[in-house]
Amino acid sequence: MPSVVQVNDLRKRYGEIEAVRGISFQVESGEVFGLLGPNGAGKTTTVEILEGLRKADGGSALVAGVNVFTDPSEVKRRIGVQLQASAFPENLTAKETVDFFATCYDLDVDALALLRLVELQERAGQRQEKLSGGQRQRLSIATALVNSPQILFLDEPTTGLDPQARRNLWDLIRGIKGRGTTVFLTTHYLDEAEILCDRVAIMDEGRIVALDPPRKLIDDLLARGFTKPVLQQQANLEDVFLDLTGHELRDT
Amino acid sequence: MRQTARLTALLLRAYVRDRIALFFSLVVPLMLMVIFGYLNLGDFGRVSLAVDDQAKNDASKQLLGVLKGIETLQVTEESTDEALKRLRRTELDMLVVIPREFTIAPARPGQTVPQLVVYGDDARPQQVAVGRQILAQVIDRFSFSVTQTTPVIAVKDETVQGVRLRYVDFLVPGILGVNIMQLAVFSVAFALVADKQRGVLRRIMATPVRIPNLLAAHVVTRLFIAAGQVAVLLLVALVLFNVTIVGGLGSLVVVALLGTILFLTIGFALAGWAQSENQVPAIAQLITLPQFFFSGVFFSKNAAPEAIRPITNLLPLTFLNDALREISVQGATLWDVRTQILGLLVWIVLGFLLAVRLFRFERF
Repeated sequence: MPSVVQVNDLRKRYGEIEAVRGISFQVESGEVFGLLGPNGAGKTTTVEILEGLRKADGGSALVAGVNVFTDPSEVKRRIGVQLQASAFPENLTAKETVDFFATCYDLDVDALALLRLVELQERAGQRQEKLSGGQRQRLSIATALVNSPQILFLDEPTTGLDPQARRNLWDLIRGIKGRGTTVFLTTHYLDEAEILCDRVAIMDEGRIVALDPPRKLIDDLLARGFTKPVLQQQANLEDVFLDLTGHELRDT
Repeated sequence: MRQTARLTALLLRAYVRDRIALFFSLVVPLMLMVIFGYLNLGDFGRVSLAVDDQAKNDASKQLLGVLKGIETLQVTEESTDEALKRLRRTELDMLVVIPREFTIAPARPGQTVPQLVVYGDDARPQQVAVGRQILAQVIDRFSFSVTQTTPVIAVKDETVQGVRLRYVDFLVPGILGVNIMQLAVFSVAFALVADKQRGVLRRIMATPVRIPNLLAAHVVTRLFIAAGQVAVLLLVALVLFNVTIVGGLGSLVVVALLGTILFLTIGFALAGWAQSENQVPAIAQLITLPQFFFSGVFFSKNAAPEAIRPITNLLPLTFLNDALREISVQGATLWDVRTQILGLLVWIVLGFLLAVRLFRFERF
């Protein structure tokens, strides 16, 4: 499998602050790749450089086979992007919002088919402002898929969603992976990364401190003799919550 | 082209869908039109005009007769000394002195034509402006009738009808102008700053959209909206106030669109400069309010103090209002208002340069 993203010694500084201090990694085609890290670790800067939204100071980055530094607009043509706060032009319906973004790529798409893919077909004629948080995130993913991208960048897609909506979005992301699209995910939720990602990179202070499949990172930690001083619980509060309120989405 | 057209169609649909905003953007100009037009708040009643007839011959009596027959004028006969005193106390608007050797006859080569001396009250500039305009038209009619040797009496009747200028006729082009300014500056600045703050522009920047196409779509959307608003306002003016538009509707639309483009460039510059939605109204008011008062919306632009008139005469809205008014009230053609159009074009270039300097899509 060829690499969809190849990053080599990437650097970015804002004045005195070195946000990204020479990181290197690869994202393989067809995997879900997670970029994790505390706030200020340099995740968003890294992602925005790869999306062609920000200029880097050094290193190199190939995305979908194209050099982001020299041809950002060709990169934009080949990738799908969901930004952290999904905002769309006002007073458009869900379907028109998809059409709007298709027009930005100068493409004709079957907007209803995309809405069906994210289970929003019944909201096609509704204004996007009236959608719930989870629906908005799904609409955001639909707009990111208008150009059938080789790789989909999702920046904290489940932040602010209730447990049902989160699980629904996970299913959607798995479905997108199933269609052969590579997914590049940043998140604060480690359970999410553990469940969804084939490999994760953990960033701290502008550097990548670990890069492996989640299971391997855990095994390595245990091999170093780590133990949790807690009783093994058979269930947690989230399981109680979902048992009482069901897995079904509440906003559709 | 295709991308611009499709983006425009979507933006237009979104714009029209916001019915409340659409409604209120029309309510304010309509309210102004009704308040000032219907209640005649800005009406100056009649222009009081004193005539000092020093000739007292047939020709001067003829002129006096015509002036007295004009509805808008309130004509009295008094001596120059007395009239000047009353002028200084603003009891009079104007004084016309008919010279001793006054005639109405074709001028022979080498012969000087009689000269009417006109005094105007500086404190009531709009009345003076109307009075001068009427006087000029009366003189034109006389000159025409004399050189064409058509019967003077027949022309006289037409003249009385022709120079009837109601306040609302004066007002409507001003309302059109101010509405174009408000729409263009506010709508584009608010919409884009809101999009900037909410991250919409950033999301759009993550697509390979061609920025000039997106900007063109925003501009064309506003041109459609402006054309629609001008049509509605004109319709109301025609139906409710029976306003007469002397000049061509096409010329009016051309000037209105030029004005829209001009104020859109200012709106884009403002959108580029403003960091938050809260800054927009303050700066937009700062830009529009002086023009609201000094560019001849409700009163003649000459109502501005004489000291600042060289500046107020160069304001963008002054050029727009003057052109709209001359077309609408005096039946001017586009060629007749070329000076104002040139003024608009100069402002468009300045506004465009400013917008390009301040508006950076990449920064969002």
